[in-house]
Amino acid sequence: MKKNLLAVLLPVIFFSCKEPEKKPAGNDIPTKTDATVKVLPPVSNYTNPDRSPMDMVYFPTDYPLLKMTGKTTTLPLMRIIYSRPQKQGRQIFGGLVQYDVPWRLGANESTEIEFFSPATVAGKTVKPGRYILYCIPQETKWTFVLNSNLYSWGLEQNRQKDLMQFEVPVEKTSLAIEYFTIACEKKSDKSTALIFLWDDVKAKLPVSF
Amino acid sequence: MRKTSLLVCLLVSFLFSFSQPSKLPEVDKSPMDVSYYPNNYPILKIQNKATEPLVARILYSRPQKQGRKIFGELVEYGNVWRLGANEATEIEFYKDVKIGGKKVPKGRYTLYAIVSVESMSMLFEKSTTGISLIIAWEQVKVTLPITL
Repeated sequence: MKKNLLAVLLPVIFFSCKEPEKKPAGNDIPTKTDATVKVLPPVSNYTNPDRSPMDMVYFPTDYPLLKMTGKTTTLPLMRIIYSRPQKQGRQIFGGLVQYDVPWRLGANESTEIEFFSPATVAGKTVKPGRYILYCIPQETKWTFVLNSNLYSWGLEQNRQKDLMQFEVPVEKTSLAIEYFTIACEKKSDKSTALIFLWDDVKAKLPVSF
Repeated sequence: MRKTSLLVCLLVSFLFSFSQPSKLPEVDKSPMDVSYYPNNYPILKIQNKATEPLVARILYSRPQKQGRKIFGELVEYGNVWRLGANEATEIEFYKDVKIGGKKVPKGRYTLYAIVSVESMSMLFEKSTTGISLIIAWEQVKVTLPITL
């Protein structure tokens, strides 16, 4: 999602929620302290920021901004909630993420995908609704799986609840990507490729409405 | 010759800059997070330890204090605040609930707050997703005292 743009626009549109000028290193805990108030460090699971921060992807890409500025009054077509682990010098595919073993496409919770309209994913019809999306990576292709076991942690998949599978080839990228990234490569107003990027691997899942 | 190679360099770097995935979404300054009731529901679920179904889920983003005074300044008293950063905070109830004595039907809401010195009014706007500017058509408004 275009949070950069949001960060620029929101202070103008929204009253007081200015983003800090300085870019902290992702999910780092702020270290600067108020002169008069003692700032408590994160003390529990509830306050610790995640190492692999959560993020959200929409199609249309800038949906929240379009909605806020009145350019759309309808629902988005699709929304994905996932978490973003980092490469940190490790070999990801065939290493940290093993081939032929289901992978949650992220970190922490299972990755969630919600279709707000009937969709066609890699040629197959998918009903509107909320699903878990995971993949089984191989060296040259990934098998994406839609599953109904919602609100589950991503370390285990309940294969009994698999609904559909989509097999797509993967490409190698010239540069390694540090943060696992899901984004939409727009083809038209109703058609996009969901791209999944991490390390030097890129997978594309075509979605149209 | 030097000029030509400089030009070639510039041209190459110009083209190169377009071939890079420069538009990839960065990591947010205020990272998104999620809370559940029951707490840690997804982990309980895969461990078969969940004793009741999921009741509520909140999706929000986490701005940082960074030495600033927050309430009364960055978040002004009396104004509507999105309870976080970036997109509006979303709360979903998977069954009808009661909050502060008021019935809130199951469903997905955008959650806002109006902060004052001693209390916070929580506004539940029937919504789906995304940012919506507040136009005071809250469906349920609950005022909760702040206790420390």
